[in-house]
Amino acid sequence: MTITLELILSILASTLRRSVPLLLASMGGCFSMRSGVVDLGLEGMMLSGAFFAVLGSHVSGNVWVGLLTGVIFGMIFALLHAVLHVNYKVNGSISGMVINLMAAALTPLLLNEVFGMSGKSSTVSNFNTPNIEWLKGVPFIGPILGGQNILFYISIALVIISWIFLYRSKFGLRLRMVGENPEAASAVGLNVKAYKYFGVLVSGAYAGLGGVYLSLGQMNLFVENMTAGRGYIAVVINAFGRYNPAGSLIGSIFFGFFDSLQTIFQSYFPSQLVMMTPYIVTVLIILFGLKGGRSPAGTGKHVES
Amino acid sequence: MKTPKIKLPSIRSRNSLVTSFLALIFSLLLGMVVILISGYSPIESYKAIFGFSLSTVKGFALSLSQATPLMFTGIAFALAYRVRLINTGAEGQLFIGAMAAALVGVYVHNLPGLAHVSLALLAAFVSGGIVAGLVAIARVYTGSNEIILTLMLNQIIIFFTSYLANGPLKPPSSGVGQTERILESAQLPRLIPQTQLTSALFLVIAVAIIIQFILDKTVFGYEIKVTGQNLRAAQVAGINTSRVSIITFSLSGAVAGLGGAAMVLGVNYRFVEGFSPGYGFAGISIAALAAYSPLGVIPSALLIGILRAGTITLSRTTSIPVELVDLIQVLVIIFVAAPKLTQSVVKIFNSLTHKFLKNAEPVGGENS
Repeated sequence: MTITLELILSILASTLRRSVPLLLASMGGCFSMRSGVVDLGLEGMMLSGAFFAVLGSHVSGNVWVGLLTGVIFGMIFALLHAVLHVNYKVNGSISGMVINLMAAALTPLLLNEVFGMSGKSSTVSNFNTPNIEWLKGVPFIGPILGGQNILFYISIALVIISWIFLYRSKFGLRLRMVGENPEAASAVGLNVKAYKYFGVLVSGAYAGLGGVYLSLGQMNLFVENMTAGRGYIAVVINAFGRYNPAGSLIGSIFFGFFDSLQTIFQSYFPSQLVMMTPYIVTVLIILFGLKGGRSPAGTGKHVES
Repeated sequence: MKTPKIKLPSIRSRNSLVTSFLALIFSLLLGMVVILISGYSPIESYKAIFGFSLSTVKGFALSLSQATPLMFTGIAFALAYRVRLINTGAEGQLFIGAMAAALVGVYVHNLPGLAHVSLALLAAFVSGGIVAGLVAIARVYTGSNEIILTLMLNQIIIFFTSYLANGPLKPPSSGVGQTERILESAQLPRLIPQTQLTSALFLVIAVAIIIQFILDKTVFGYEIKVTGQNLRAAQVAGINTSRVSIITFSLSGAVAGLGGAAMVLGVNYRFVEGFSPGYGFAGISIAALAAYSPLGVIPSALLIGILRAGTITLSRTTSIPVELVDLIQVLVIIFVAAPKLTQSVVKIFNSLTHKFLKNAEPVGGENS
């Protein structure tokens, strides 16, 4: 194999493409974790986002309607997580797993009901790559950024907005306070439950959007279990990035890179072995890369009101 | 060592029996909505599902054989949950156990039947136990999240065994990913010919009894109980909680591994790629339904097995999908995990029936 500039550029472009869904989901996880709610339901929120985006696009013929339905259903699944955990005090890991199992059971069911197909849906209109001529002409940057669709730029904007929100706004400060010390937050008059609901719902919207990217950004259809554990990887990226959107960005690009190496290795090694790579990297990160980090001190704590 | 706080629904048997019963009823009721959307009568469908499973020999045998792997994974989840660890890795442990059993079954020759079967089961037990044990060690000593670790390992194990079944271990003539057929000496006898019901059923019942015995009647069982209920108190009392957690979690993985062996030695006679339609995750639901009692797993897995067998058969002639059972299983977890939710649903039901009775009374009065 000869390493050419072209190959490197195509890997970098692919790295960015593969990091977008991870970035969106892990950034959503920041909001959830910062409000003190475990973000283990990202996988299910993402999967439902992916499915309902295709459904919305199928029914309306418009990708933006698809995007909206995907985001909304990500939030509906998040709402279930919030109700179970915040109101009914179900352990956050369990209620997160419930969301994931629910999405895994419900999406093939609905796929069958709506499209009359199993395994995958019919094709729908999706987000095309915009044809920006002037950008494609720029050396280096052109081949990397020219192939990205609008959702890529939206996610980058969301990193900045989320960071400013969490670290430079009064509301963000309060959200983090609820996550660190719910008793104190409650004592100064904050509605702890409302903040937790907010954090979880935002995580649902972001993870849903991550799912939209998978089904309408990278493809134009829904495939059963198309998230394939990306939601769990996002949980790890979120911890790796210290529950900070900027950290999510770095972590997602790191994972996206290993994910994109698959395309090269595919022709040299059996596909099953190559497909193990991102999961092995995740395990290594869990074992060796999360030292010194800690989750917000109030995670899983409830406040009687 | 940090252990997540988990409130167990009180293990007092009467209380949990009611919770489980209501959880199942509510889940079945919500399942009716799915059947309605599919365009069938819910009552007729449930009649067909339970009728097939309970009134025909073939149906009941299918129910039991569907329930067998669920019993293994249900016991696995219940056991780990006793030390408040969540074993979402049963799926992966199932696969590695199945592969280990298949390797022994295919490549170890010249052993008498009982020894061959035992060796294959042992291989599955040990491999499932090691995989889970490594996770538990990471959990105890680095505080890693065991849920994510096991879920990632699931993917790794499933891909790796799939590589083996599609590559080095694949019979030349085979079109799908699988190993060679295991030798006859490694096969578990079938209880009813022409069905998939094997003596693995007795094995899993024995496992349930042994584990229940360990939990209730031994010092180690007591240590498990204290560790799970109050980690601090256990440490103060001089219990080596790290050791207890690691052994318990390993044992949990070992039981799931046995479940994989049961599928290979009894049902498929070889490792077949993708042999499990999510048995590992179904175990969560079954353990919850059994209030995390290993012996209780047997009847609750049987209930889900009955539902599965009936739905599989019904899905062949109608458009009611098998995933209906998956959904019902998730709903069961929700209702068991949130007893207050169940209570509020009961309250709504009560007030509704109350209203209904009130409205109905004058009508009754006129008739009499």
